[in-house]
Amino acid sequence: MSDLVQYYPMFLEGTALTILITVIGSVIGILLGLLFVMMRLSKVKVISAIGRIYISVVRGTPSMIQVMLIYYTLAKSLDLPTIQFLGSSLDRIIPGSIALGINSGAYVAEIFRAGITSIPVGQTEAGISLGLSERETMQSIVLPQALRNVLPALGNEFITLVKESSVLFYIGVQEVTAQALAVGGTLYNFIPPLLVSAVIYFILTFVLSQVFALMEKKMGAKYTRLN
Amino acid sequence: MTNVIEVKHLHKAFGTNTVLDDINFTVQKGEKVALIGPSGGGKSTLLRCLIHVEGGYSGEVNFEGQPVNHASKETLQKLRQKMGFVFQQFNLFPHMTVLENITFAPKKLKIDDPKAIEAHAHQLLEEVGLANKANAYPQSLSGGQQQRVAIARALAMKPEVMLFDEPTSALDPEMVGEVLGVMKKLAADGMTMIIVTHEMAFARDVADQVLFMDQGKIADSGTATHIFKETTNPRTQEFLAKMMD
Ligand SMILES: Nc1ncnc2c1ncn2[C@@H]1O[C@H](COP(=O)(O)OP(=O)(O)OP(=O)(O)O)[C@@H](O)[C@H]1O
Ligand SMILES: [Mg+2]
Repeated sequence: MSDLVQYYPMFLEGTALTILITVIGSVIGILLGLLFVMMRLSKVKVISAIGRIYISVVRGTPSMIQVMLIYYTLAKSLDLPTIQFLGSSLDRIIPGSIALGINSGAYVAEIFRAGITSIPVGQTEAGISLGLSERETMQSIVLPQALRNVLPALGNEFITLVKESSVLFYIGVQEVTAQALAVGGTLYNFIPPLLVSAVIYFILTFVLSQVFALMEKKMGAKYTRLN
Repeated sequence: MTNVIEVKHLHKAFGTNTVLDDINFTVQKGEKVALIGPSGGGKSTLLRCLIHVEGGYSGEVNFEGQPVNHASKETLQKLRQKMGFVFQQFNLFPHMTVLENITFAPKKLKIDDPKAIEAHAHQLLEEVGLANKANAYPQSLSGGQQQRVAIARALAMKPEVMLFDEPTSALDPEMVGEVLGVMKKLAADGMTMIIVTHEMAFARDVADQVLFMDQGKIADSGTATHIFKETTNPRTQEFLAKMMD
C-alpha cells in the first residue's frame, strides 16, 4: 500500500489528463453533434445523407480503431507540436481529443435529433407565425427546449465519454488508465493501481451525474414558477 | 375601403386529397370574418395558407396588395409580422416567462426599442387581465390564461390582422368566456380578424362576414344575418342545426 502511495503524482497527472481530454472531447462532441444533427435534419438530400453516414459509421465501428486511425492520419499529415503536457506530448493529446470528439459527436447528434423531433411542430409554427426566421426559431425556440429534454441523455453520453477516454491509452496518451498500468508495471502487481483508477473513474462519473441531476432539477423548477 | 386580404382561386391538395377547392374571398380593413363548418372542411388549412405555414397551393393570396405566395423568405417574414396567429393549442414557449413570450419576437425583430416593447407588453397583459402573471411560466397557467397570453403575444407584433384557429376548442367550458371576452374587446377596438370557430353565438354577434366551409369549398357565405337567419342552403342549415343542440 505504501508502495502505491508514492505514485500518487502519476495518478494525479493521469486524472488531470483524463479530465482534460474528456472536456475537449465533449466540447468538440457538442459542436459536431449540433452541426451533424442540422445536416441530418436538412431538407437538402445530399447534406442529410452526409449527416446520416457520419452518424452510422461512427456508431458502427469500434472507438479504438477510430482513435488509432485519426491519430495516425493526423500525425502523418500535420506537424503537431511535441511539447510535453501532463506527461504526454501534444501530438498525441490533440489527435486523441479530436478523435474522442468525433466519436462523441455522432452520439450527441442522435441525442439532439431525438430531442428536436420531440418538440411539437406547433412551437416552430408559433415562432414562424410571429415573423421569426426558421433559423431564429430553431435557435431560440426549439433548441433550448430540446436541450432541456435531452439533458439526462447528454449526461449519460458524457459519463460514457469519461470512461471511453481510456482508449487514448492505445495512442500513448498518459491518462489515468495508462498511468495505472505504468504503476502496475513497476510494482509487478496490476490489481492495486487498477483499483485506484477504477475509484478515480467512479468519482469523476459520480460527480458528473450529480452535476447533471442538479441542472435538471434547476431547469425543471424554473418551468413551473407561479408568478 | 381597402382590402387587407384577397384570396383568389386558392387550391390546395395533400397528395390526391383536395382540401381547398377554388376559394375566393376578400377581407376589408376592420372586418371580422368567421370561418365555420364541419370538421375536415379545410378551415385550418385555409388559415395556415394565409400566413404561409402551409405552402404548395395554387391561386393567389394577397396581403395588403402583396402576393404571399411567390414572396421571398424575407418578404414572407415581414408579411407574417403583420399577421397575428392564435393557435388552438396556444403554443406558448414553455421555456420563457409570460413576459418573455410576449417580448421575444418584437425584441428579436427590433420593431421598437426594448423599453417600449416591454411597456407595450405590460399594457397588453393588463388588457387581457393577466398583469400579475408577467413572470410566471406558461405551465403554471390555466388553458384560458395561456390562450390570453398567446393573444397578447400575437398583438405585441402590432399586427394588421389577427387570425384565430379555434382559439377556445381546447379549453374547459368555464374558460371559454374569458378568451371570447378578450376577442370581443379586440373586435370592438377595430382589429381586422379572421376567426375559425365552433362558437356560433360568438360568430353571430361579432362577424361581419361568415364563410361556411364544407369539403374544401366555401359552400355558403354572407353576413351573419344571412347565414344564421336567411340562408336556404340545406348544408348550412343542417350544420347549424347540429351546432345549436
Ligand atoms: N398535413 C396534412 N397532411 C395531409 N392531410 C392533411 C394535412 N392537414 C390537413 N389535412 C387534411 O385536410 C383536410 C382539411 O383539414 P383541416 O384541418 O383544414 O380541417 P378543419 O376544417 O380545420 O377541421 P377541424 O374543424 O377538425 O379543425 C382534412 O381531410 C385533413 O385530413
Ligand atoms: Mg381545424
